[in-house]
Amino acid sequence: MTGPSGVGIGWRPEIAGFVADLPGLRFVEVVAETVAPAGPPPPGLAELRGRGVTVVPHGVKLSLGGTEPVDPARVAHLASVAALVDAPLVSEHIAFVRAGGLEAGHLLPLPRSREAVAAVVANVRRAQAELPVPIALEPIAALFDWPDDELDEAAFLTEILDATGALLLLDVANVHANARNRGRDPLALLDRLPLDRVAYAHVAGGAEQGGFYHDTHTDPIPAEVLDLVGELCARRRPPALLLERDGRYPPAAELRGELDALATAAGFPVVT
Amino acid sequence: MGGPPTGGAGPAGDLATRQAELVATLVAGGPLPSGFAPAPVDAARRALLGKRGGDVARHWPLLAAGLGATWPATFADWAAGRPTNGSLRDGWDLARELRDRGTLPALGAEELATREAVTRYDGRGGPRPRRLPAVGRAGGAVVVQLAGRVRLLRPARR
Repeated sequence: MTGPSGVGIGWRPEIAGFVADLPGLRFVEVVAETVAPAGPPPPGLAELRGRGVTVVPHGVKLSLGGTEPVDPARVAHLASVAALVDAPLVSEHIAFVRAGGLEAGHLLPLPRSREAVAAVVANVRRAQAELPVPIALEPIAALFDWPDDELDEAAFLTEILDATGALLLLDVANVHANARNRGRDPLALLDRLPLDRVAYAHVAGGAEQGGFYHDTHTDPIPAEVLDLVGELCARRRPPALLLERDGRYPPAAELRGELDALATAAGFPVVT
Repeated sequence: MGGPPTGGAGPAGDLATRQAELVATLVAGGPLPSGFAPAPVDAARRALLGKRGGDVARHWPLLAAGLGATWPATFADWAAGRPTNGSLRDGWDLARELRDRGTLPALGAEELATREAVTRYDGRGGPRPRRLPAVGRAGGAVVVQLAGRVRLLRPARR
């Protein structure tokens, strides 16, 4: 089993038939919390595994950035799903999703502080001790920042990766969204990230709304994000790129067009 | 863990307290923690409500369809400041409130009556399957459930 390579797509039950019909597909990602750990894998996903397609479980609820120790049951679930689909690695976010007994229902940003680095590092290490495979960490898109940043984004991420040995899951749309919403240059961040640590990259669509760029996963990939994929690949092409689409699924021809555009921007073989 | 407490609102330390304050701002109507820019945090709060409304609509498709274009605003008005109990319970609580207000659309009434016939939900804990035969009513809709089989006896008022 090798790590993901080429162009992939986020596997969701609603588009399982579409995904099953992609002839060149070698790699998908599944939201870990949607898979029962005792198996069998969801129909469709099991067939892809049978075809030798790599499946990466992607966690969204571990809350690695919370100050509480990560819930052992959630880590055990992620580990079970990884074993169930024979995954080469798993991924989760550098974020917190609950605090003070309340669920945010979403990935929330951390302050870029030493205290937050320590919280993430402690939780990633707790998870790594129980996971059968490496973990890749994904920086999130956030509409707001904390007032007390001590580090810039690149330094914050690099400290976490260096201290944990984790891989980087770089979301190109998040890089675009964060730069756009703060009036910054996304290339300046790409130039400072440890691109040799990228296990794979996410790409998703989004939309402008109320003066902010929202990383919706329900809109088409904007040209700026595809351009950023080209810029990333010109610097160091990640082993794999994954299209994320969650909800409001377009007709198959449109999804195929997005996958083809992604392959073209990255110089990977088409999967459609 | 972390640095010395600074009263929970200082610029450094006590990450746990500050995270809790921020989540309360976003989902429970709490005040904006010190130092945060109001407009971006409010945009995030609204985005969360929109995402949550989409999740509830997937669990309550007829309720959402019955409200049509007014679904996002109806849900957001109800959910703002009210932390989630999960999409199933959130939709259930909203449907019951609309029923009590007399503003539950017919499709939502039939969906609620069906759920009430199949599942016991006390509004506090998780819904549980009913083992005995039951009748669900909402907005004029009458649904009977017998041995797990569900039948709409009378459609809702339209």
